[in-house]
Amino acid sequence: MQVKNFLSFKTVLIFLIVLFLLVFNVFPMCYLVFKSFTGESGFTLEAFKRIYTHALNWNALRNTLLTAGLSMIFGVMIAFPLAWLVGRTDLYGKKFFRTLFVMTYMVPPYVGAMAWLRLLNPRVGTLNVWLADLFGLSQNLFNIYTIGGLVWVLTTFYYPYAFITISRAMEKMDPSLEEASKISGASPLKTVLTVTFPVMLPSIVAAGLLVFVSAASCYGIPSIIGAPGQIDTVTTRIIDYVYVGSQEGLSDATTLAVSLMIIANIVLYISTFICGKKQYITVSGKSTRPNIVELGRWRLPLTLLVSLFALIVVIIPFATVAMTSFTKNLGKALTLDNFTTRYWHILFTRKGILDTAKNSLISASVAATAGIIISCVMAWLLTRTRAKGRQIPDFLITLGSGTPSVVIALALIMTMSGRFGINIYNTLTIMIIAYMIKYLLMGMRTVVSAMSQIHPSLEEAALISGAKWQRGFWDVTLPLIAPSVVAGWFLIFMPSFYELTMSTLLYSTDTKTIGYELYNYQTYHSQQTASAIATGILLLVIIVNWLLNKLTKGEFSI
Amino acid sequence: MSSITLNNITKSYGNVQVIHEFSEIFQDKEFITLLGPSGCGKTTMLRMIAGFEKPTTGEIKIDNVTVSSPSKFVPPNERNIGMVFQSYAVWPHMNVFDNVAYPLKIQGVSRPEIKHRVENALESVHLSQYINRMPDELSGGQQQRVALGRALVSEPRVLLLDEPLSNLDAKLRESMRFEIKEVQRKFGITVVYVTHDQTEAMAMSDRIIVFNRGVVQQVDSPINIYRNPANQFVADFVGKINFLHGESSNGTITFSGGQSMSYSGDKLGSVVVAVRPENIFMTQDRGALRGTLTHSYYLGDENDCRVDFDGNIIRVISSGRSYGEIKAGSQVWLDFDEYLVFQDDGVDYTKILS
Repeated sequence: MQVKNFLSFKTVLIFLIVLFLLVFNVFPMCYLVFKSFTGESGFTLEAFKRIYTHALNWNALRNTLLTAGLSMIFGVMIAFPLAWLVGRTDLYGKKFFRTLFVMTYMVPPYVGAMAWLRLLNPRVGTLNVWLADLFGLSQNLFNIYTIGGLVWVLTTFYYPYAFITISRAMEKMDPSLEEASKISGASPLKTVLTVTFPVMLPSIVAAGLLVFVSAASCYGIPSIIGAPGQIDTVTTRIIDYVYVGSQEGLSDATTLAVSLMIIANIVLYISTFICGKKQYITVSGKSTRPNIVELGRWRLPLTLLVSLFALIVVIIPFATVAMTSFTKNLGKALTLDNFTTRYWHILFTRKGILDTAKNSLISASVAATAGIIISCVMAWLLTRTRAKGRQIPDFLITLGSGTPSVVIALALIMTMSGRFGINIYNTLTIMIIAYMIKYLLMGMRTVVSAMSQIHPSLEEAALISGAKWQRGFWDVTLPLIAPSVVAGWFLIFMPSFYELTMSTLLYSTDTKTIGYELYNYQTYHSQQTASAIATGILLLVIIVNWLLNKLTKGEFSI
Repeated sequence: MSSITLNNITKSYGNVQVIHEFSEIFQDKEFITLLGPSGCGKTTMLRMIAGFEKPTTGEIKIDNVTVSSPSKFVPPNERNIGMVFQSYAVWPHMNVFDNVAYPLKIQGVSRPEIKHRVENALESVHLSQYINRMPDELSGGQQQRVALGRALVSEPRVLLLDEPLSNLDAKLRESMRFEIKEVQRKFGITVVYVTHDQTEAMAMSDRIIVFNRGVVQQVDSPINIYRNPANQFVADFVGKINFLHGESSNGTITFSGGQSMSYSGDKLGSVVVAVRPENIFMTQDRGALRGTLTHSYYLGDENDCRVDFDGNIIRVISSGRSYGEIKAGSQVWLDFDEYLVFQDDGVDYTKILS
């Protein structure tokens, strides 16, 4: 009898999670698609026709595909050698570089846009001016307000996605595959090209597609850089349409969003079901220590090259933003005369900023807590039970996470404003739900992988010692997965905290978030205040990273 | 302190039947070994006794109390069983004391009592000096003994051991065998032991149950399993053996190569003669059967030989001291000291181990 109760308990859990996902994920998306294909008289492609008769939208679509495609190619071209150098060679300062590159992943992408705007402004960009002086040029080298500029910023902020994916795959690769190549007489370079690269190819493709989708769904960067340069992307067009406010605007936004969603879902399908099937990487139970390639006389030059890269891509932009926050007059260099702490004072005193920070803190904490609870339940269902249907929520969570933020937000607006009996529009709840749908996957993956590394016999030993399964979970499983649970919590918390895209669509007067506030200051009021907020977020990322390292005894850092 | 009764147990996963119907009673204080190649169903059997798997049909009783039947199922935590897992399952986040104390903490035993009993348990598994160590500071053998201590500390009715020695090196394995046996005698406990190692089974058990593909092949004492195996599988799996094909008629068996020997048993027609290498007596002067010595290997305690018997290579083991007495290539005489005859059903039992 007890077994039966237990079974139904699992079913109830699955049912509850699926219900949540159905109501707030599947149904809104389906409604969005349905809406875009129906007019007053049933099925029609009218909406698509109308949208794509505007050259502006065609341009936006082309720009999105072009910038995301180029960012994908450049991102992988940077990430693969970098992951190899940092993970598999005796490069100097590997750990430092690794932390640096991975931390970029936790920084809001729009911060990069703010930095590069200052550095490569065609007239007064700091780096531009400096380079022109250095080489005695009569005119500035770069213009950030171009497709090229957009690709540059997207690449520098999304290559970490590829870097992390490829690094993980490299860590999991059985080192004896490479050893076998070397024993057969291949040089290290030959080994990389003939064994490492082909074996990793599915992961590399998956990493590239991840960069593509992220870049295509990005709103912050194209809106900060694209707007002055009049470069539209699909995401900026969608938000423009929503801001028009009319029924027609909303309907056009829907249609564009469905286009973006279709692109994203095709990519997601390819990367999970085609690349996923071809994973050659075998994870052995023991932690295999990858063999380290000695770079020999290349060690120093390559370290310098990686340092230069880190300097340009990570340190200079972050430093620029930090310096901007202390600058009185943006037209002049940061000297003692031009130094002020005014904007930091604003950051800590202005009610608008503090309120939005509080909103973000609350919604991100709730989303992270609820998300990690679902993650734990899912981890348990996936790794410890054979419950039927446990793959369904897993699939839905993956799907939600792969959907562009704009699409999620728009779908929630359309369905959760009372039309179907639920009205949570203009509340923090709708934000929390949006964050959970978008970022749940990160938490879930972390907990699932930790759980699958715990041998079930550890729990069985608790049962046979007389403990009920709940007690066993508390005494044995929980302490062992605790570091991952903490890490998973922060992986949901951080992106939710500074989220911009969904917040831009979902906010109301009382529920503005810090990401939105920052964007507002950057675009309309004061770049320095925006920079102070951004620097504050950067510091938070560093503190969280340090905290995480302490809490998990060095097992995890972001 | 208790018996285990298995009534008509079967186990299937979907359409795959992994345990065929089986009934047996394990007596109080008996040391029972479930022996078989990997994937034969022995671990599943053990896990059903523990309560981690539910039998598809049948009933399990411990001390005549039903713990598993179609209408009743007692979960593992209420069965009062001790178990040592193949991977030891020593909790990495607890020190030796906390690992061993865990079952007592669950029972709500008082602190001083816990301390006392854990110390006793650790003493009986020779781990007293490691009481505050963390598992990752212990060797494999020490972790194994932590697991054993934890299984014994609450003085369970039954102790289940799932290949507990398979991760240890040969020397340690041998000494642990005797330690486990010693502990069993001391605690007077019923033990069910799973292994694929026939030497372990022989050395420790009161009775051995040999499994193959979910079917019980034989339940018997070690000596009977070895000397009177029920079938060719058991004969082949336990110990070393030669199978020779022949025809039996009129009190003689004629081997495929043409030589024959007298036979007083009742098997007729196609037969297989099974003879253990150490039961073949090899001399140069006289005997019943003829062959040619092709190789001999000096192993110290024994002399492991291969003899060409009319085209079949058979293995002969004689004492280590006899090495070198007969040169390779010499004609030898063979006498079968003790052998078994099975009806030949055309199946090669040396090739199907699982």
